[in-house]
Parts: sequence; C-alpha cells; structure tokens
Amino acid sequence: MENEETKVMIGLEIHAYLDTKSKLFCSCPTNVNESKPNSLCCPVCLGHPGSKPVLNEKAVELGTKVGLALNCKINQDFFFSRKTYFYPDMSANYQITQYEIPLAGKGFVELGDKKITIRRAHLEIDPAALIHPSGMGQSNYVLIDYNRSGLPLIEIVTEPDLTTPDEAREFLITLENILSYLLVLKPETTLKADCNISINGGNRVEIKNISGFANAKKALTYEIKRQINETKLGKTIEQHTRAYNQETNTTIPLRKKETEEDYGYIFDPDLVKVNLTDEYLNKIKSSMPELPKEKIVRFIKEYNLSEYDAKVLCSDFELSNLFETIVKKGASPKITNQILTREFLSILNHDSLNFNQVKINETDIFDLVKLIESEKVSDKNVKESMINYISGDKTSPKSYLEKNNLLVDTTIDLDSIVISVIDANPKAKEDYKNGNEKTLNFLAGQIMRQTKGSAQIDKVLEKLKEKIN
Amino acid sequence: MIKQDETIKHFVNLAKSDFSQVEENLSKIIFELQHSQNKGLNYIESFDEQLVLKQLENLRNSNKKGKLFGVPITVKDAIVVKDLESKAGSRILAGYKPQFDATVIKKAREEGAIILAKTTQDEFGFGTFSTNTIKVPKNPFDQNRSCGGSSGGSGGFTAYTSAYHLSIGESTGGSIACPASYCGVNGLTPTYGLVSRNGLIDYANSLDKIGAIGRNTFDSELLLNVISGKDEMDSTNLGINYAVDDYDLDALDLNELNKDVNKIAVIKDFYEFCDQDVKKVFDKQIEKLREFVEVEEVSLPLNVKYALSAYYIIATSEASTNLAKLSGLRYGIQEDVDGLHFDDYFSLVRSANFSDEAKRRIILGTFARMSGFRDAYYLKSLKVRTKLINEFKSAFKNYDLLLNPTMSTVAPRFDEIEKLTPIQNYAMDLCTVPANLAGLPHLSSPIGFSQDMPVGLMTVANHLEEKKLTAFGKLIEMIN
Ligand SMILES: [Zn+2]
Repeated sequence: MENEETKVMIGLEIHAYLDTKSKLFCSCPTNVNESKPNSLCCPVCLGHPGSKPVLNEKAVELGTKVGLALNCKINQDFFFSRKTYFYPDMSANYQITQYEIPLAGKGFVELGDKKITIRRAHLEIDPAALIHPSGMGQSNYVLIDYNRSGLPLIEIVTEPDLTTPDEAREFLITLENILSYLLVLKPETTLKADCNISINGGNRVEIKNISGFANAKKALTYEIKRQINETKLGKTIEQHTRAYNQETNTTIPLRKKETEEDYGYIFDPDLVKVNLTDEYLNKIKSSMPELPKEKIVRFIKEYNLSEYDAKVLCSDFELSNLFETIVKKGASPKITNQILTREFLSILNHDSLNFNQVKINETDIFDLVKLIESEKVSDKNVKESMINYISGDKTSPKSYLEKNNLLVDTTIDLDSIVISVIDANPKAKEDYKNGNEKTLNFLAGQIMRQTKGSAQIDKVLEKLKEKIN
Repeated sequence: MIKQDETIKHFVNLAKSDFSQVEENLSKIIFELQHSQNKGLNYIESFDEQLVLKQLENLRNSNKKGKLFGVPITVKDAIVVKDLESKAGSRILAGYKPQFDATVIKKAREEGAIILAKTTQDEFGFGTFSTNTIKVPKNPFDQNRSCGGSSGGSGGFTAYTSAYHLSIGESTGGSIACPASYCGVNGLTPTYGLVSRNGLIDYANSLDKIGAIGRNTFDSELLLNVISGKDEMDSTNLGINYAVDDYDLDALDLNELNKDVNKIAVIKDFYEFCDQDVKKVFDKQIEKLREFVEVEEVSLPLNVKYALSAYYIIATSEASTNLAKLSGLRYGIQEDVDGLHFDDYFSLVRSANFSDEAKRRIILGTFARMSGFRDAYYLKSLKVRTKLINEFKSAFKNYDLLLNPTMSTVAPRFDEIEKLTPIQNYAMDLCTVPANLAGLPHLSSPIGFSQDMPVGLMTVANHLEEKKLTAFGKLIEMIN
C-alpha cells in the first residue's frame, strides 16, 4: 500500500451456488434464471407451518468435493443449525446453516508460494431475493421472489491471511478456477464475497456481498484508504458492517456488526446428524477430478510446455480443456499453445473480453494449427485471421485465410523468385556485399510483393543471403 | 372389560359390507359435534361439513376398503389438513388453510378414514389444561373442569361422542397422556420418530410425537398401525411400522399376549408426588395386576430432579425458533402494514396475536439460546437429556414396563387453574415429562374414578417396545 508501515489483514467469506437439480432441503428445481418469480417454491422453502426439510445428498457430495479440493479436513459427522434473525427474505426467519461442526474444517489454498488458510467450508440455504422496484432505499415497498429461497450455497471462509487487495483478487480467481475444475458451480452464477478487513491490528470491518473480483479489489482498496485516513485523524475504527457502492466506488456503513453468537444458534431438530462413512469419503476421493496444480505438472511433462505456459493454460478450466482437445486431435502442442496463450489471450486482453464471452471452436483452431504446421501461413496472417475470428465477422481462420488468398502457395518456386529479384537488382546485390545490410530488406520487400505476402519473411531473408553469397 | 362391538375393528367390518353403517355413524357424530359446539364445550376448532360430505361420497364410490373404512377421525389442530383451517390453536394463524395434508392424514385417508374436524388445544401445545387458547374445551364429566392439554379437544371429544371415532393427538411433554387421563380415554404416544411429523405445526421438534387417542387400546393401536411407518418427508422418521395382529376379543389369551411382560415397576418418585385419592385408585389397580405380573418399585432420582428443567429449556429453545416464521407475512393473520418498516410490522403482528403463554415461552427459549447463556442452559440441557435417557435405560434392564399415575390429580377446576403460577403449572407435568423428554413410548389407560373424575395409569416402555405397552394396556382393560 501507499503507506508501507500499514499492516493489512484481509479475510474473505465466499458464497458459491452449488450445481444441484433441486434445492438444499426440498425438491423444488433450481433453474431460477429461466423461471417466473415465485414459481419454484413449495411449503418447505416458503416456510409453511408443518413443512419439514430433507437434506439433498447431492449438495453434500459437491460440498465434500469442495472441501477436499481446498485441502480441508472433512468432518464425517456433521449437522445443521438454525441461525435466527428476522428479515423478510428469510422464509422461516431462521437460516438452516452449519455452526459448530461444518462439513469441511481447516484447509488451505496455494497462492504462488503462499498458503492461504481456509478456516471452514459449510453448507447453507440461500434467502429469497428482495426486489426494490425503484431502487434500494427508494421504494416504499419491496417484492419478494422465493425462487431463490433454499438454493444450496457453500460458504468458504478464509483466515485473514491476505495482505493486499490484489492478493484478495488473485485468491478469488484461484478459488473460482479450482471450483470450476470440480464442476460443482451452478452455471451462470458468480461468487459473492464478504470481505473482512483490518489495519494495524485494529477492529475488523466487514464489507458485505460484493459481486465480481474487480469490485472486491476496488472495495478493499477504498476501505484501506478510508481506514488509514480515519486513523490519521485520530479516530478508532469500530467493528461494523459496510456495503460497497459500485457507482461511487466507496463503502458505506450498514450496521453495527452482530457477533455470530448473537444469532442464538440451536441444532436444527428437524434434521438428523449426517454421517459420511469411510467408504463414501473414499469413493468421493477417488472420483476427484484433476485440479489445476496437477494439470500444470502433467501439461509440462506430457506436452513439453514451459511452466509459465502450462500455468497460463490451466488458469482457466475451459482453456486447458480446449488445448488438450486440439492436441489430442493431432495438432502440435507447441503451436496450439502459441495460438491459445499468445494470439488468443492477447486478443481477449486487448478487447477486455473474458474467455466465456467468446465462442471458439476446437476444429477451427485445429485447422489453423495444421496450416501453421505445414508452413502455409505467415505469422502476420495468423494474427489477422484470429482477430477476425474473435472480434470480426467470426469466420473460421482457415476460411478467412482462404477467402483472402492469404495462404502460402506451396506451388510457388521461392528459389526462382529470389534469383530473378537478385538478377533484376544488381546494384542492390553489390551494396549488400559491400556491407549495406539495409539493401537486403529492399530485396525481401520485392520478393514479398511478388508472393503477395504469403511467403514467410524469415525464410525469404535466409534464401536471399544464401543466393547472394 | 371391552366388548368386541365397542371396537373400531368391529365397526369397520360392518361398514365394509354395509355402507349405511358409515352414513349413520357419520350423521350421529356430526350431530354430536354440533351439539357439543352449541353447548360451548369447545372440543372442535374447525369443522367444514362440505369437506366431510365430499369424503363420504368419495368413500361410497371407492373400491378400496381400508383398515379405517368409514371411521370419522378428529385431528389436533396442530396437524395440518389440506384446505381445512389449521392454526395450532393460535390467533396468529387464523385463516391459514394448508396446501398439503400431514403424512398421518394422508395415511389415514388411504385407509378409508374420514377426516372430520380439527380439535382444540393449547396454543402451539403450550399448556397442560388447554386453557391457553381462545376456545377452551370443557371436561365431559364436569364442565367446570379442564380436559387437560394440550390435546384437550381430542381427549374431550373422544370421551364425549358415542359414535365410532378416533382422534389423532400430539404429545411434546405429555399432551396425549394428560387429556386421556383427565377425560378417561386411552392415549397412546409412540417412540419419537415412529410416526412422521411431516405436517405437524411444531412445538419442539426433538420432542414432538404424533399419537393416537381412542376408547381403548385396541382402537388406539389400530390408528398407530395406520399412521406409523416410513416417510421420506420427515428426516427424523425411523422408517418403522407398528404392526397389529388380528384378534378375537372373546378368545383373547391375556397371558400369551403379555408373555414378554414379566416384571414391571412403579416409579416411586412420581407416585409419591400424586394426590392421595389418585394414589388410592392407582393402588387398587396395581393389586389387581399383581395376579398377572410381578410389580416392584423403582426410583428415577435424576429424572425427578432435572427432567422438568431440561424439558422446558429444550422445548422453549426450539419453540422460539419455530415461532419465528409466524410474522403475518405470507399466511395467517395480517395487520395493516401501511407506513411500517418490516421489523415494526413483525413486532406488531406478534405482539397482538400471540398469547401471554406463547410470549413467555418465546422469551424463555430465546434467552436460553442467546450468547452468554447458551452453554449454561441450552447445551447443558441437551447433555442432561442424555443422562436422563440413560437412567431410564438402566431401569429397563430390570423391568419391562414402568408405571405411574398419569397425572398427580384428577382434572382440576378452571378456577383452580387460574390460581396456579407458571412454575406450579409447569410442575403439573412431572409424571409425563420424563418419558416424553426421553422419547419413550407410553400409554395412558383409564383405571377408575375419584371424586367422579377419571384417573389414568401411565405405562412407559423402552424405545420401540410399543408391543409390550399395548399388550399391557389390553390386560388392564380386560381385567377391569
Ligand atoms: Zn421448495
């Protein structure tokens, strides 16, 4: 930070939607996005008197996978508790969550050489959605959509091991990547984070419910500055909860923070203790998919990639899969990697796009790699065809190259063109021999023009030197 | 002595071949129900004649003739019945018509039962006398006295009606045994988890047990047979069905029936707590029973000392979270919301519509689980409960059944009840709470009268040993 002496401690509570077909404690479907408000609910998730929750075992399975992937100790005997607070989005005015014994206990996530400690990960229900028709604080009534009520969430809590907003952002990206490898995340949902932050051992301030990693970073950056300024003014930072306002890029106070104990937790007496047998746990362990760390090692070994390239590919589950699919079809790993990590990612960066925002087809890339392998396309045209593929009219690189006559005509006799150009320019030839390197570029330009740019410049230069000498 | 033609089984056999039996019995019970309402006896909380007649027609056209074919059944108000106002005796749920049938209702309907009406109770089961509600049921033996609680309407109506009828009750701390005792009927509370709680408006989920109230053990066990068993909608359900054997009352071999009941014991500490006149009736019964079985005495000092405290802490802790959902937002009573912030609205609805007793229990329960007190009260009580269960378990190593008078007194008069402090009131449950806290099955059988009011004997069995309980209950009925 600006002030080198400021010691920052950041802890995160991350909520992620688990990808189950039904809700955590009832059989209502979870396809909230394509459904009308209040169409996916039943007496259980509406909190009707007499209804009883029944645990969705799939959520336990997915939660266990998350725990294992975060190197957590799985508690084979766990249970659910009621966290009581009155709020219109909470259908029973208590949330079914885990308190004393979470599904997953202590674990860690590696961030480069640093280990970020995971305190716990537990299952809980999502509240209903509150809709403020004229905006938060502006409406004199709110609408409630119970479709979301009871959706399965996993809450992942870190120790305050993170020290900068950048690190917090990196952690979130890393965590999301691990979760995507596990195939446990509900599609089209994002992680939401509550950020706890304290400076110089002061009181903890919680910033609630931040969507998006860039926002988390911005909110934390603002909050650190705010706390430093407050301290400079001689004020003490009180423990409280704040909200991040995206428009103004500031944080605003919400309420005095309750401590966890204030929620009057009791064991949910409608639910029974869950026991995960050794057999069950072993089965899940043996069905764990390959995680980023393991994939990086394998890519280096199997495809002879540099550690850097392997890491770049594996930092996105889909990208690493795309790479492998193309290579398995018989494309060169080296060239495929170049196309994906250099060309493709630099176009994404340039256009500020995310991988999941673009449609790219494995066959299109495969065809392109094959053209490069057989030296039928120049670097310049590879780039041009990829830019068109991602941000242009999206025709496949191969069709683009063909349509625009950008493929090297292997029938062209490069040797005879080189000789004829040299013969037509005797002065240039002499100048070069006398040490004027620039004339070589002049000759190469002539050759490129005659080949309509399809020749590879390295090759042309090489041939020129060979023929003149 | 119970006669064959007094049993539900007898009625169902007739009804299966002669539908007019169903119609006659139903007309009779509806007449009596309306009569009891007109007289202000208050057994019935909700009754919808159209819903009843619809069931009758469905039954007439049905090919399936189940175990409860044509039997009218009343249900404690806390058990939800689809489309029939179900409010657990509370004003806050006024107008609430459930979208689904409780599992026990579904099971009873599948066997041909007619769901007749909802019976009155203490609000959410919070009480011993069914006086913590608006419609207070009056004892059929003396209208100045209580029916007991909290399933008071079920006990009272079962004693009141002369028609063939069964009632589904619910016990948290003794709410089936108590009204059975006060009203002189049979109340069978099963092991916790034997009967699905799905559809029960909760009092205290780890204690609530739905059970049967009937004229005799034969009837109660038939109802238990129908409503027990596997239900995936209740996670605490044990998945076990209580089986009934066919019987012929004229050829009943009581010794054979009670072959597993060899040694029983009177729980001395509970017995001593009871009034002299109750003890007298109880003693007489024990003397009769000695001809069939060895009777000893046992002491449960931990239960005497701690059961009530642990029970009230656990029950109110759970209740205070259960009642949180009742806030006038999605169902039940609604107040004028204009200009109110949501938490002010919740407070308004809850202040205006919970009774004092409900508020008392919410405050007690919230206190027992709040930060700083949770360890000393709520968590400690859970540990105590385990110890108390173990005390029962060691007694069951020596005895097949444990006995005590169900209630320490006969049904008290309403003016007597008014004078009780909350603590004196809670202490009235001393004999019934321990078995309930331990989740043990128990049966209250009528054994005679004192001051012209019924006296009940409570028999407690080990977990899932309902068979011993009902065999013994039949023994009592057949020798009296
Ligand atoms: Zn639902």
